[in-house]
Amino acid sequence: MKLYCSTDMEGVAGVSGWQQVDARTPHSEYGIYRRYYTLEVAAAIEGARRSGPVDVLVNDSHGPMRNLLFDDLPSDIRVIFGNRKPHSMVQDADASFGGAFFIGYHGAIGDQNAVLCHTYTPSVIYELRLNGIVCGEAAINAALLGANGVPLLMITGDRTTVEGVQAQMPWVHGVIVKESIGTLSANSLSPAAAQRAIADGAAQAIAGASAAKVFQIAAPIEMRITLAKTEQADYVAMIPDVERTGPREVRFVHDDMRTVFKVFVATFRLGALA
Amino acid sequence: MRVYISADMEGTAGVCAWSQVDPSNTHEYPVYRRYMTREVHAAIDGARSAGGREFLVNDSHWDMRNLLWDELPDDVRMISGARKPLSMAQGAEQRFDAAFFTGYHARIGEADAVLSHTYSDATLYDVRVNGTPCSEALLNAAILGLYSTPVVLVTGDSATIASVTAALPWAVGVPVKDAIGYFSANTLTPAAACAAIAEGAREAMTAVPRAKPFTFAPPIELVIETAKTEQADFMELLPRVERIGGRAIRFRDDDYLTVFRAFLAAMRLGGAANLPA
Repeated sequence: MKLYCSTDMEGVAGVSGWQQVDARTPHSEYGIYRRYYTLEVAAAIEGARRSGPVDVLVNDSHGPMRNLLFDDLPSDIRVIFGNRKPHSMVQDADASFGGAFFIGYHGAIGDQNAVLCHTYTPSVIYELRLNGIVCGEAAINAALLGANGVPLLMITGDRTTVEGVQAQMPWVHGVIVKESIGTLSANSLSPAAAQRAIADGAAQAIAGASAAKVFQIAAPIEMRITLAKTEQADYVAMIPDVERTGPREVRFVHDDMRTVFKVFVATFRLGALA
Repeated sequence: MRVYISADMEGTAGVCAWSQVDPSNTHEYPVYRRYMTREVHAAIDGARSAGGREFLVNDSHWDMRNLLWDELPDDVRMISGARKPLSMAQGAEQRFDAAFFTGYHARIGEADAVLSHTYSDATLYDVRVNGTPCSEALLNAAILGLYSTPVVLVTGDSATIASVTAALPWAVGVPVKDAIGYFSANTLTPAAACAAIAEGAREAMTAVPRAKPFTFAPPIELVIETAKTEQADFMELLPRVERIGGRAIRFRDDDYLTVFRAFLAAMRLGGAANLPA
């Protein structure tokens, strides 16, 4: 089987502050947590392979998207690096994959008791809804996987993140590595314990893959985005076929989730410039 | 008659370098900002002598807050600021009898044209509508054309005047300088330029009855060639935008307003691609 891993960093055991995951302003904590992050990904791959060979593609999906310590991962996998991907955290998750893991994921912006919760760009995206459902990164990314026929099999992160995804996708195997206390504190497993839990979870998720379903948002897909600032909506409303529905709200409707996703990416890119 | 003025700066007499038109410059810019204001004033004076009664001035350069407001006649209205959905043609929907383009410059890629560019030289390498390479003058004239407003006056260097009047033969052109390459010009003095602009504006008002609104015939095809590949990567995120080359995208629609908005969205998104990855 082919396994797709989209890997984020805020949901790694022990992470509770931005400095631990900030690759752009070098901080000694980042160097430490980047390693824990890599080891959680390695653990997921090890667990996934317990009952047979699995081809793995890992999409580094955090910040500048070049965080993984490549040489600490099995030598036969492939990795996607870099953050200019039109499908971003779910780039190249095509129909050839039998399933996907979301590792180190975090809550949607606005979630309570979710460490470092946000949805792509917190300075731009205040809320994202697809067909009325509030979506975090996990939901919109799963929807893109769904459009390609790829089921989400496992998610790791804090309790709020894991249970939030399972509420929408009950077939997903969850590994809770920490309990969030607000947005900047967590009661966490140790790195070693988290890695063991993730490896065991991955093994179970692969074993149960045949029962997993594909998460699909029914067409026509209505994306509504609330922007953090009015001037961002001024810019985003210039995108073809995007409708301004309020001072800080825009709406886009399309039948193809892949197009919806690209418009979402264009929105946070353009909004960041405003 | 009601007159719309889109005021740019690179085509002002004497301008031959970015430092003269860059608002962050503290010694050259304040001088040329005053010359820009005087040229706009001269255009208003000339128009007034031939029936111009109401004026809307759209500051259309850089961050679009250059004009020294208290040095213009107190009965004009002005649009300031750079976040306008119709940018250099903002306000066109109010419909005017005539439009002036003052201080305009040539399109990117034109030779012997001072500071020639098209909106953003960091992002746009070439812009074509229905196969025609477009200057800002042409792109903006087509917005005014949507609202039946003809462009009757353009001021700038002689290359700018030649290409604009080739496309808009009814427009009066006032060449205030001859470019010597990109960064030099043989120019009129500010006073002589203002006198020529006032006279040109007067003459332009008399040309209004035979002037035509400029429009692009649908279906309208916009092609953008970008300066860098990563800018086209970002532009391709936009709905209905097609990637037609490593550094080229295409957008089609029957409505020029939609095309122009897509053009601005693409340019700004291209600007976002210039941020560190």
